[in-house]
Amino acid sequence: MRILLAIILGGLFGFALHFAEASNPKKITQMLRLQDLSLMKIIVFAIGFASTLLFFADLVGIFDISHLSIKGVHLGVILGGLIFGIGFGSVGSCPGTCVAASTGDGFKKALATVLGGLVGAFVFSISYGWFKDLGLFSVMDLGKLTLFSISDEFPSLFSMGFIGLLITGVLFMAIAVLLPTNPSFGNSTVTETKQTDIGDL
Amino acid sequence: MRQKWILQAMLLGAVFFLAVLIIKPIGVSTQFSVLSGIVHSTIDPNVITVDESRDSGYRSTNAYYDKSEGKLAKSIKHPINYDFVFVLAIPLGAYLAHLLRRKKTNTQNTHEEVYSEPIPELPKVKGNFWRTYAPSFLGGFIILFGARMADGCTSGHMMSGMMQGSVSGYIFAAAVFLTAIPTAIIVEKLSLRKVGK
Repeated sequence: MRILLAIILGGLFGFALHFAEASNPKKITQMLRLQDLSLMKIIVFAIGFASTLLFFADLVGIFDISHLSIKGVHLGVILGGLIFGIGFGSVGSCPGTCVAASTGDGFKKALATVLGGLVGAFVFSISYGWFKDLGLFSVMDLGKLTLFSISDEFPSLFSMGFIGLLITGVLFMAIAVLLPTNPSFGNSTVTETKQTDIGDL
Repeated sequence: MRQKWILQAMLLGAVFFLAVLIIKPIGVSTQFSVLSGIVHSTIDPNVITVDESRDSGYRSTNAYYDKSEGKLAKSIKHPINYDFVFVLAIPLGAYLAHLLRRKKTNTQNTHEEVYSEPIPELPKVKGNFWRTYAPSFLGGFIILFGARMADGCTSGHMMSGMMQGSVSGYIFAAAVFLTAIPTAIIVEKLSLRKVGK
């Protein structure tokens, strides 16, 4: 049953990523160059929408809080995020979207990204012990910290429970609506005519 | 269809919500460690061994696979589990969306839509195999190395994490955009210079 659900939900996720054009590296790089923020609007709205749905699911009592999964805060999150950003910014792809893009247009490059990712993940597995000994995962260790007290399992900053998710959810959706698609400070005309990506180098 | 983005966002958000409602939050990058671990443990069978005394039933000489009572070691030895199959199903759904879009644009080809333009094929004269694929490969390497260090990616940390109000999700997102924005701008400048010469 769980395997069947994995196929359905994974398929839905891939469909949604492609439908939102998140699997198109050009959309991601244009977003990161602040030239076309339509994908940013989608991401921010999606987070807010999911948050709001979580609040209502909890309100009507259909949400099992043991399904929550919070990742820990430590120095590795910051350092890993900074490293991730370099790759994200240069190829316009992330683990989910390059898997999604491995079918359809541009699949060869996506497959190259997936292969590179497998090697990258492997090199990390090998070097994990070394990083751990350096204290990368114990420095700034705040545990599985959440903003709002949604479960006794995790420490939290504010004790307002799921209502906090409603507030941030609505806030995120409002920000998404207000965000301009083409900010005037980005030279969007340049990219319309000269769409470039790293592979054309 | 000016408001199409809201529809796209609602579908994406709904999927993230459904996943946590039914099973657990969406995450992708861990499965890269699992797949590379499967290859690793096939080449070197001694890296993961059976240990009945543990809950997971496995022990590994590699500290990462051995982490959290050998949780990853177990996933590597039993890859037909929810998380792994979930990631394998992503391209299926994406391909379906791809086919639907192509069908739609074929039937209404008079109506030109920017988003449906396929990525233009590279001119055959320019660049060889390595120049085309090495940057993507290297990018993937950096992305997953960083994601594993941070213990999550755009899906797990940013989307699933921030949706649940996870502080690590916010920190990850801030760190990512701090380097991703300048990198994307610099890479464009460099490539424009090469094209323009």
